[in-house]
Amino acid sequence: MSEPISIRGVSRRFGRALALDTVDLEIAAGELLALVGPSGCGKTTLLRIVADLVAPSTGEVRIGDAPPAQARQSRLLGFVSQRPAVLPWKRAVDDVAFTQTITGRRGFAPADLLRDFGLAGHEGKRPAELSGGMVQRVNIASAIAHDPQVLLMDEPFAALDEMKREEIGDWFAAELQVRPKTVLFVTHHIDEAVILADRIAVFSTAPGRILEIVQVPQPRPRGSEFRRHPVFVETAAHIRGLLFAREGAPA
Amino acid sequence: MIEVPSEQMAPAVGEPEDRREDGARKVVGLVLRFLMPLASILALWYLAIYFSALPAFVIPRPERVLQTLFNDRSFITVHLVETLKVAAIGFILSNVVGIGLAVLFMAVPIGRQLIMPAAITLRNMPYVALVTVLMLAFGDSIGSKVTIVVLAGFFPVLVNTSRGLQAADPVALDRMRVLNASWLETFLHVRLPYAVPFIVSAQEITGSGSIIVAIAAEWMISSQGLGYIINRAMQQYRGDQVYAVAFLAALLSFGVYALVHFIGERLNWQQSGQADRA
Repeated sequence: MSEPISIRGVSRRFGRALALDTVDLEIAAGELLALVGPSGCGKTTLLRIVADLVAPSTGEVRIGDAPPAQARQSRLLGFVSQRPAVLPWKRAVDDVAFTQTITGRRGFAPADLLRDFGLAGHEGKRPAELSGGMVQRVNIASAIAHDPQVLLMDEPFAALDEMKREEIGDWFAAELQVRPKTVLFVTHHIDEAVILADRIAVFSTAPGRILEIVQVPQPRPRGSEFRRHPVFVETAAHIRGLLFAREGAPA
Repeated sequence: MIEVPSEQMAPAVGEPEDRREDGARKVVGLVLRFLMPLASILALWYLAIYFSALPAFVIPRPERVLQTLFNDRSFITVHLVETLKVAAIGFILSNVVGIGLAVLFMAVPIGRQLIMPAAITLRNMPYVALVTVLMLAFGDSIGSKVTIVVLAGFFPVLVNTSRGLQAADPVALDRMRVLNASWLETFLHVRLPYAVPFIVSAQEITGSGSIIVAIAAEWMISSQGLGYIINRAMQQYRGDQVYAVAFLAALLSFGVYALVHFIGERLNWQQSGQADRA
């Protein structure tokens, strides 16, 4: 089960600065929508508003029928931060189980989840003993351990090198087939967005506004080999065109 | 039969000898680590006696100090127990007050504005004045001495614990909020573990400091404890006894520091993580 997300007329000010300007977005249940745009365009702010970590200055967000605070209290949300939120003193399996202890929802057996995430044999290790890619996998496993219906991801693969990012991206696309969710995915990488997302909301520079919502006309999951597909080339070029035309610089 | 190239065999043959050499090096290192400081202290001591030409009651010979420590052991032990009692109670209360106030400031931020100025004022007051007031109020009692130890010890615990509770990783705090964790759950599972390394380093200061401050308080107002022995020995020109107590106090302080450090390392997730990797 997953819930739709509805974002209506959401703006957010920080002091005098307008970070987000009247954003409207409808994300269907089970859809993966990527937010792409230059740094400081407010895409992380929008994600944090949906996660109930920041309040909007105007407008409203609904997750299913409920506001974000209620969705959070009902433990419907999973949040993956750019920097892993794993606890450095906990072993991988304990970190995953910790999410379940706090939420009181036992989504998946922690050891099984880690095995599915390609971490068999590493369950007993602490973050300092794992590679960056492995830590991010534990981070994602911990974020979905209570089987949330909505997954909010803030540049989850940004800290990884190009090869690792492709590898973990492929794995994540496959993983979503096994455990479908509504996903809001913030990224700097146009290629990553085109490979993973159903639709891509392209943002302007601050104050963030949606320039266009681009549909990827190819069903998911798509692996990194999709880069050679004409649809990929065309879609990525279109998004680059949107961003370059506005900013005169790459995203 | 597979032939193994001789170069590959070489390290295996050399291994036991290497291990033996490593072991010997470790033993020598350990001996040097303990003997060198002791030798340098003794050398400086004898040099001071030789060059200062001060009388023996001001600077006695090391062997005389050891002899006094042995001969007066029952007298010193009685007072040592008294000092340890004051230091231990003071140390525990320093932590109760320091950690308690830090948690209170975290839970009720206005508490910081209300209490912190008073804590800083107390911290900056000359202890001699405080001891005098406490002496007038409570006389030569364990309460007045413990109060001095607590006044000297709670501040590092308060400051370090406060800093530690603020040091929790913001992404971990975000995680707890999205998971709808309670204040207590966030405190116990995230803020407190992040604060442990800070609390541990405060213990190293307060632990050994408690002994020194307890002795200082006894020196000023008490007729019991190691501080009292120093005071009495000074009046009787018993430099050997002063040195014996000073030596004992330094040893105790060092012992408390080592014990606190040892326990702290086991509680500190940063240290235990490194130990696991090693």
